[in-house]
Amino acid sequence: MHRRTLVKTLAALAATLASFAFGGGAHAAWPDRPVTLIVPWGAGGGTDGTARIIGSLLEKDLGQPVNVINRTGGNGVVGHNAISTAAPDGYTIGMVTVELVMMHWAGLTQMTYKDFNPIGLVNIDASGITVKADSPYKNLGDLVSAIKAAPAGKMKASGTGQGGIWQLALAGMLKDLKMNPQAVGWVPSNGAAPAMTDLVAGGVDVVPVSLPEARALIDAGKARPLAIMSKEPSALYPNVPTLKSLTGSDWTMGAWRGIATPKGIPPEVQTKLAAALKKIYDSKEYKDFMGQRGFGLMYADPKGFGDFMAKSDADMGVIMKTLGLSK
Amino acid sequence: MKFNDAISGALLLALSIAILVAIQSFPKIPGQNIGPGAFPGLLAALLAGCSFILIFRGIKERASEPWLVFGAWLRSIPHLRSFAVTVGCLVFYIVAADKLGFIICGTVVLSAMMWTLKTRPQIFIPVALIATLVIHTIFYKGLRVPLPWGVLMPFAW
Amino acid sequence: MTPHVLMQALALVFDPYVLLVIFCSAIFGLFVGCIPGLTATMATALLVPITFFMPPVPAVAAIVTATAMAIFSGDIPGALLRIPGTPASAAYTDEAYAMTLKGQAEVALGAGLVFSAIGGLFGTAVMIAFSPSLAEIALQFSSFEYFWLVVLGLAGAVFIGNSSVLKACISLLLGLLIACIGLENPAGHPRFTFGLNELMSGVELIPMMVGMFAVSELLRFVTNMDPPMKIATDKIGNIFGGMWGLLVKYKWPLVRGSALGTIIGIQPGSGADMASWMSYAMSKKFSKEPEKFGTGHVEGIVESGAANNSSLAGAWIPAIVFGIPGDSITAIAIGVLYLKNMNPGPTIFVNNPQNIYAIFIVFILANIIMVPLGWLTVKIATKILKVPRNILMPIILLFCIVGSFAINNTVFGVVLILFFGLAAFLLEENGFPVAPAILGVVLGTMMEENFVTSMIKSDGNIWVFFTRPIAMWLAAGTIIILFWPVGTWAWQKYRARPIST
Repeated sequence: MHRRTLVKTLAALAATLASFAFGGGAHAAWPDRPVTLIVPWGAGGGTDGTARIIGSLLEKDLGQPVNVINRTGGNGVVGHNAISTAAPDGYTIGMVTVELVMMHWAGLTQMTYKDFNPIGLVNIDASGITVKADSPYKNLGDLVSAIKAAPAGKMKASGTGQGGIWQLALAGMLKDLKMNPQAVGWVPSNGAAPAMTDLVAGGVDVVPVSLPEARALIDAGKARPLAIMSKEPSALYPNVPTLKSLTGSDWTMGAWRGIATPKGIPPEVQTKLAAALKKIYDSKEYKDFMGQRGFGLMYADPKGFGDFMAKSDADMGVIMKTLGLSK
Repeated sequence: MKFNDAISGALLLALSIAILVAIQSFPKIPGQNIGPGAFPGLLAALLAGCSFILIFRGIKERASEPWLVFGAWLRSIPHLRSFAVTVGCLVFYIVAADKLGFIICGTVVLSAMMWTLKTRPQIFIPVALIATLVIHTIFYKGLRVPLPWGVLMPFAW
Repeated sequence: MTPHVLMQALALVFDPYVLLVIFCSAIFGLFVGCIPGLTATMATALLVPITFFMPPVPAVAAIVTATAMAIFSGDIPGALLRIPGTPASAAYTDEAYAMTLKGQAEVALGAGLVFSAIGGLFGTAVMIAFSPSLAEIALQFSSFEYFWLVVLGLAGAVFIGNSSVLKACISLLLGLLIACIGLENPAGHPRFTFGLNELMSGVELIPMMVGMFAVSELLRFVTNMDPPMKIATDKIGNIFGGMWGLLVKYKWPLVRGSALGTIIGIQPGSGADMASWMSYAMSKKFSKEPEKFGTGHVEGIVESGAANNSSLAGAWIPAIVFGIPGDSITAIAIGVLYLKNMNPGPTIFVNNPQNIYAIFIVFILANIIMVPLGWLTVKIATKILKVPRNILMPIILLFCIVGSFAINNTVFGVVLILFFGLAAFLLEENGFPVAPAILGVVLGTMMEENFVTSMIKSDGNIWVFFTRPIAMWLAAGTIIILFWPVGTWAWQKYRARPIST
């Protein structure tokens, strides 16, 4: 046994040297070894969960293991960077998130969505407006007039770190309603869950996170959703009205997730991967998973996803400049 | 390598001053009344305070505490070599892991360490190879840690 | 809980398939916890894809069992090799290793095992009895209250270890400064990253801990002029031998540790690691023999071993009642609950009573089977002390490399263990303890975050830290604990004055 592994390794070594000498071997059909799926966020979050279900379905479809690995930190900079700088051979793919079109505006990195090769959009969760269950704001109108009446920055909101997606969602909504975008002070938080806890503990007044993120405390009767910033009501809470139906504002904002690869992967890999992703998106398993977690469904093919990111990028640039968050 | 407390204190003081200088360039954040420099600044100031006490103590005890005491190992060639090999192994792994792959680097690291700790070659060569392969199997197959294959890529199993 | 529901729940758990899942995840948890760099959180994340294909009860049982085992087995490499397997074991690693050097490895590990199980059962009992009401209290905690909790935790650093207070403080400050590195601060401004992308995420705790304990220990070993090739292991026959005696002797520390662990666990955002540091410090503070701490004294291990396991159960309380994660493990578990249609919330007790009681039973079962399985693991693990050190130490180095790589799947983790290994080697040579630095990193980010967000919420009014109802009590407690030593010192000085002058 030991001798065999030894022999195998030595043989491997010799063969490697040989293959170097002869300028590399021919490429077998992709994939002939495990594929790595990089997630720029930590284990346990919504992005991680979505990536893991896609990973396990992709594994079935491709017939090769798909290893989901987390590369966390720096508000997603580290993980996105790892995806864009990986070898473009189709063996490293990644889940990209809305932060990709924000981080370069904030001056955190030179990298933009243009450094990626889009495969497909798989999910979008619109920003909601949630307040404490026993707060005096029964509807969005109450909340908006209270914000107008209070001195700028007196009322507080929370949901992400400084300059995060939900801060932009709220500020953009205020701007669209012809109010001071900084009328509500932003309390940075380490994600949606601590912000929701703080809302219930009375630390902040409004939390503009997505409805699935607010779901546990809404269902527990501790928090009340007032509106959703999307064109259509969400499948999770069909009774929560859209911003448009309440105020006429066209402002929409949501956190999206999609699959992308480094630039320059072989065209046949691109085709195969995009087809596999579409199949997964249409599968019952994926729909069930997203339904259980309450996550919103939205699909775009490679071309459509690229255009979607371009528009998202431009929108973010405008609102971040308004808020003075852009360098 | 034991320094007199005054020297440790001076080094720490230099560190705290460097931090205090660095935070001067941190921006103010709109809507936040405490900037990103405040917390490290406070810590650096406290560290500077502690450093002063340490320097003071070190100077007071100078009679019994020399400025610098070299450990006995710094005069022993085999120990110096072992120290260098340990650090060298980590540096080697950091530099070479992606290119050569885990199996080659792991075997080299184990062999070098066991060699410098005076294990006989007829023991350390098989042990290094087997241990590397076992660790690789546990982590790569069992725990799905993407250890690099490096040049062994064509033979990935 | 009606007898009918209880019977249903029992039937759900005592099903051959569920028992097999529990057994396998126990082995898995014990293994993962043993390896430095692999944490209980990681064990959970690895289980998630497998639980996709399981019914609800075994899915949750797998996570509960694996994490309880992993937190215990983190003690094993800590005690035997001075390399804590998980951050929750770091608080008493030096103590347990000192016992190993005295030939008492099996007492240290036996105590860790038995009192982990008791702590876990205590936390479970609290969870079963008081879940809904305790979760309500946890929801009252905002950043103001957390700030005081963190300060309380930090105050403990000074009590840990036997080194000079000044050097312990410096080490703590260095740890807090290390926690400042990176982008994850309230301002979202990258600090001290030296332009490195990898440092944007700050210094990961695990590689730092592996470096400061394991790599520095290796460096000490290779530079030791007269290294012992083997550590003496006394024949103790039965690791449970002295446990009854310890139980009687240390019943109060045990209760204190379990209670504190449960309370810390319930608070979202603080988990097993903080629980074990705080209770170790508390143990030393209240001990009749504080001078023995750090020299291989079992008392602190009893208390904090119980605390870190009881906090695991505590963390499930807000998770089940409100879907709020008490720690990073329950954050993952909540996702699994949703997937299995067991949506967390007060209604879970109404809609799915048999499932929730089945989970409670799994908690009890996991803590009970931990004892025989843990005993086996300890028996096997102590054998590695018999491996000649010149073969063992290199293999440990390779484990450290792989473990630190696995945390974020980057070779930068290895850079960190090298840097912190050298730093800790120098610090310890000069009499600076490393444990406070690790505590500083554990709590540094929390401290800044909670202070800054509190100040934003109160528009800069610092008095809010003292006027909110719960914050007020925490503040009073913290200030008394912090100034108690100064007060007694001043009082003694004052009393001594007439005699000395």
